[in-house]
This record gives sequence, C-alpha cells and structure tokens, in this order.
Amino acid sequence: MNDWVVGVLLLAPIIGGLIAWPLHGRLVEFVAIAAFCVAASAGLGLATAVPGAGRVTAFHGGVSIDALGAYVLGLTVIVAALALWASPRYIRHELAAGDLRPGDEGHYYALFLWFVATLIAVPLVDNLGLLWVAIEATTVVSALLVGINRSPDAIEAAWKYLILGTIGVGFALLATLLAYASSVHVLGESSDALNWTRLMSIAPHLNPNLLRLSFIFALAGYGTKVGLVPFHTWLPDAHSQAPSPVSALLSGVSLIAALYALIRFHLVAMAGLGSSFSSTLLVVFGLLSMAVALPFMIRQEDLKRLLAYSSVEHMGLLAMGIGFGGPLALLGVALHIGLHAITKATLFLSAGELAQQYGSRRLSAIRGTFRAAPVAGGALGGGLLMLGGLPPSGMFVTEFAIVVGGITRGYWWAAALAALLLACCFVALAVHGSRIVWGHAGPVEAARGIDGAMALRLAAPLLVVAALGLWTPGPLAAALDSIRAILGATGV
Amino acid sequence: MTFTAVDAARLLDACSTSIVLIGVLIAGTRSIGRAIWLVAAQAILLSAAVAGVGLATGSNHLLLGSLVTLSSRGIVVPLALGHILRGSPVRQERNPYLGPRLSLIAAIAIVFVAFMAVDSAALGGSLGPVSAPRALPASVAEVLTGLLIAMTRRKGLSIVVGLLVFENGLALTAFSLTYGMPFVVELGATFDLLMVVVVVGVYTRRMLTVFGSLSTDQLRNLRG
Repeated sequence: MNDWVVGVLLLAPIIGGLIAWPLHGRLVEFVAIAAFCVAASAGLGLATAVPGAGRVTAFHGGVSIDALGAYVLGLTVIVAALALWASPRYIRHELAAGDLRPGDEGHYYALFLWFVATLIAVPLVDNLGLLWVAIEATTVVSALLVGINRSPDAIEAAWKYLILGTIGVGFALLATLLAYASSVHVLGESSDALNWTRLMSIAPHLNPNLLRLSFIFALAGYGTKVGLVPFHTWLPDAHSQAPSPVSALLSGVSLIAALYALIRFHLVAMAGLGSSFSSTLLVVFGLLSMAVALPFMIRQEDLKRLLAYSSVEHMGLLAMGIGFGGPLALLGVALHIGLHAITKATLFLSAGELAQQYGSRRLSAIRGTFRAAPVAGGALGGGLLMLGGLPPSGMFVTEFAIVVGGITRGYWWAAALAALLLACCFVALAVHGSRIVWGHAGPVEAARGIDGAMALRLAAPLLVVAALGLWTPGPLAAALDSIRAILGATGV
Repeated sequence: MTFTAVDAARLLDACSTSIVLIGVLIAGTRSIGRAIWLVAAQAILLSAAVAGVGLATGSNHLLLGSLVTLSSRGIVVPLALGHILRGSPVRQERNPYLGPRLSLIAAIAIVFVAFMAVDSAALGGSLGPVSAPRALPASVAEVLTGLLIAMTRRKGLSIVVGLLVFENGLALTAFSLTYGMPFVVELGATFDLLMVVVVVGVYTRRMLTVFGSLSTDQLRNLRG
C-alpha cells in the first residue's frame, strides 16, 4: 500500500512534467495543477500517516519517513502549492512583458514539477547516498529555472548556482563516503550500510576519526545548499534572479531540504562522538551566518536580495538552535522551520507581484504601496514585520525559545549575540518595510487588478503564522514534540 | 592465468597514480580541447581499475560500475563537452587567474603534499582483499587539483573541466575508501553528472547568445 502511495507521489510530478513540456496556455496550467494535486494528496496522506514516535516505510525500508521527514514533506507540499497557485498570474505577466518566450511556458511548468519531485524525494529516502543524489538533483533542475528568462543577470546567477552548488554538494558526497567507510569495520560492505537508520543503530561503534571528518565535509557540502556563511555566495543571486514562485520554493523549502540532510549527519555525529563536536561547529557557523547577513540586509537595495539575505540569517539561526540542543531550543527550531518556510514563500510571492507592478525590484523604486498596491504591499509590509519577529508572530515565540534555550544550555555568549543580531535584523526589516508601505511613491506602472485569489494566497499564510504565535493546535503540538525528540534523540 | 588480488592492487595503484599525473597535465594546459580528452583518459583509467578489482574479487556490481563509468564519464560526457566546444569561438584559456606554468607548479605541490599527508592505513584504505596504498592519497590530490582548476580559470568550459577533474577525484575516493558505493547510488550519481553536463550545455549556449563569449568575466554584475 505504502509502495503505491510513494510511487504516485514521485511519479505524478515527473510524468506531469513530461506532458507539460511541449504545451502552453491554459492547458499547461491545468496539467501542472492536476499533476500537483495528485502528488500533494499522496504526500499529505503519507505525512499525516506517520505516527508520533514511529516511521512509515515502503520499498523494503528503502523509503523511511519519521516525524521530521513527514514535517519536511508536508512543508514542501504546502509551499509548492502556494507557489504553483501564484504561477499562472506571474508567468502570464512575464509572457506579456516579453521577458519569457512563448515556448518557455511549458518548460517552466515542467521544470517546476520536476523540482518539486526532487524536493519531495529528499525526506523520503533512508539511504544517505540516495539523499545526496536527490539534493544534487534539486540543484540541477532548479538551476534551469533560475535562468529561465535568459537575462544576463539571470544567466550569471544560474551559472554560479550550478557550479558552486555542484562543487559544494561534491563535498557532501565525500562526507557520505566517509560515513560509509566509518561503518565498514562494523557492518562490512553491506548494501544497507548507508541507511541512516542502520548507521544510527551502530553509531557508537563507528570509527570516530572518519566520523569527525565526515561531519566537517557534510557541514561544508550541505552547508553550501543551506546557505551557511562562508558557503552562501550563490544564494542571494539565485534566489533573487529566479522567477518569484521559484524563489518561494528555493527559499522556503530547498534550504530546509538541505538542512534536513545536514541534521541527519549531525545526529549520527552526536550519537557517535557525543554532543560537543558537531554542536559547537553548528553554533559557530550559525552565528557567523547571522552576523554576515545583517550588514547586507541593512544596506540592501534590491527587494528580493533583502529576502534572500534574511534567509541566510534564518538558516544561521536554525543551525545555531540545532547546535544548542535541549528541549526548549529544539522545540523553537522545529516550529521555526515551518513558520520561516511559509512566511518567506509568501513574501517572495508578494515581492514578485510588486516587482511586476513597479517594473523594478529596487527598494528605492517600490514605495508607497499603501496606495498603489494595497494587497501585495500590505502583505509584504506585514510579512517583513513577522519575519523580523514582531509579536504576535509565531516567529517571536520561536526566536525567543531558541535564545533562551541556548542560555539554559550554557551557550550564553552565542545566545546573547544572537539576540542582539535578531534585534538589529528586526529594525532593518521594519525600516525597509515602512519605506515600502508608506514611502513617497514615484510614478507607478498601470495598476494591476486586485484578484481575490491573490489576496487570499498572500494573506491567509501570514494569518496562520500570526495565529501560531498565540495558539498551537493539538496535533501540530504533538508532531512538534516528536520532531524535537528526534532532533535531540541522543547526547542530551 | 588468473587475475589475483595482488594484480588488482598493482593495477589500482598504477591507474590512480596515472590519473593524478594526468590531472597535473590538465592544470598545465591552455587548450580546452586537450583538457577534455585528458579528462576522458582519466575516466578510462578509473574504469580499468574498477574492472580489475571486480575481476579479482569476482564482484559483478564492480564490473557493471566499471561499464557505467566508462560509458558516462569516459565517452558521453567528453563527447558532449567536445560538441559544446565546437559550437563556441573559444578554444584556449586566455588569461586565467593563475597561468599554466604557475598552476602546473601548484598542482605538483598539491600532489606532493597529498602523498605526504594522507596515510591510507589510518583512514581505513586497506579494506578488503585488495590493498593499494597509493589510491587514497591519489584521490585526495585529484580532488584538490580539480578545485584548483575550477577556481583559477575564467572560461566557462575550463571551469567545467575542473569540475569533472573534481568529480573523477570523488569517484576515485569512493572507490579507494569503500570499493564503490551501493550500485543504485552510483547510478543516481552518474545520472546527476549527466544532467549537470546537459545544464552546462544549455547555459553555455545562452552565454554565447547573450554575451557573445564564454568568459565568466561577463558574470560579475551581481554584488552585495
């Protein structure tokens, strides 16, 4: 039964993409949405079927989903749904403006579906080698999406993304090989030696030198895809040049997919080496990412780059929280992963809306949206405040939990610096946001019609994020609790 | 005459040493076409070493892996890159950040340091019946040489050649550390590599139409 569901989940977007490739107009939109709906129902069915402390398996254990995997899978489906919902309006405008060629429409939807398929594969596979294959595949497919409009800047961004992403993820392959080698004296050269569940069960017997080296390479390799400083240089380019719905997927879930892979290595390292080695590295690189992202956010002139640097900052915060460990910080991390994904995706969608309406992504051009674009502008302003962590946004609660959790775990210096950096980021986002909403508007391109669907898809996710700051429904709280248990499974 | 574990080990040692030497040559050449064929030669040597160990240990998945390596890295990828090269006006790496002579010296230094520093016994390089002490230091040297090439060249295709040297180094590491990964992982990794080459082809064509050259000097607009 599960074999079938997983098969449908992966094959629906792949086949849908093959059908969509040569099509255009309403037909391709219909095909893409239909294929996605099939995959989404399979994905959500699978994710909700995962019991709290157990796992769902398929294909003789080749696919194995625990609560953390189910969470990543569910978020992927939700963010992809938002991005796909926004795509027809965005793509039609690009076609009308001549930024996309007519033939690119089918290619866009096909690549979009394939990108979603690779993202979905990441939390499914149990084998660390196949996990690597899936992450590398996300890079290759999304590199084509980043440069789809053929402008010089987009080509530059896509090229950097492809080369740096491939080299970075190459190091993650080394990490995988070293993890495999560290197990050979225990498991022999068996084919399931790369299975994460198997590695976890024998972690204390792994060769510690190889395991240490393995985690360092995993941090550099998957850290490149997560956007941790100093491996982040491709991120602002790719996330700002991609079509906005793709930016939403990139910033919302592809970073989380890579973080998921890094977490797997972290857990093996903690189980094999004790908690201090990998945790300290995560705290240091997390803090470094937050510190480096801040000045770029303050002095930023491009709306989508502002959002991209904010992703670097939030990934740093998450890495740091995972490094802190302990029940409070890990609960904060678990919820923050989801809130950031949804908020950032919504922000990229509203930024795309504004960029099309103003004909520019420059922050100096996008002003006075209160009058010119009340829906998208309001969503952007509100979203920026929530992203910064203004109460009652759920992100205030999660950031607070991570910082306080760090102090209780003895990382008071890192937690204090993080609190300071978060406060500065909030000010930076609030200043940019207020200029966007209230600033003096220059000449605006012809106002675009407000459509109800757009208002719904921009406002509803933000309302959810705000509500989650005040109240967490029971099933979600239970799920977060089991994710926290997985994140802190050992070494606490 | 049978092919024994000792023969396989000698073959693996010889092949990995030659692969490193070819890597040094790639670092020292200006001609992109020659670099592509040298990368292909590396892949052929790699697949020969894999086949040797497969014969000695009687493991079918290694023989199959050797065929996959030969056909993808040894034939399809170089042919595809050669095709891209023919479609572009660039044949030579004009003014790299590090000239051919300097990168030759740097590559030799890398090889020297890698062979001095990497002790394969400490990293479990003597796994299984076949013990080839030069394979692991060679693979580390090859990975670093690939990084050196990718970081110091300006032309898009030269950077991709560096990337392939890096990937050959990874494959050699995989093989010398663990005698290959599970076959399905190797297939997946090969598929990804082929896709990377396809995407490189797409973007080199776009770079040619938009910028009129393959020089990555054009790619420095995005800052801050």
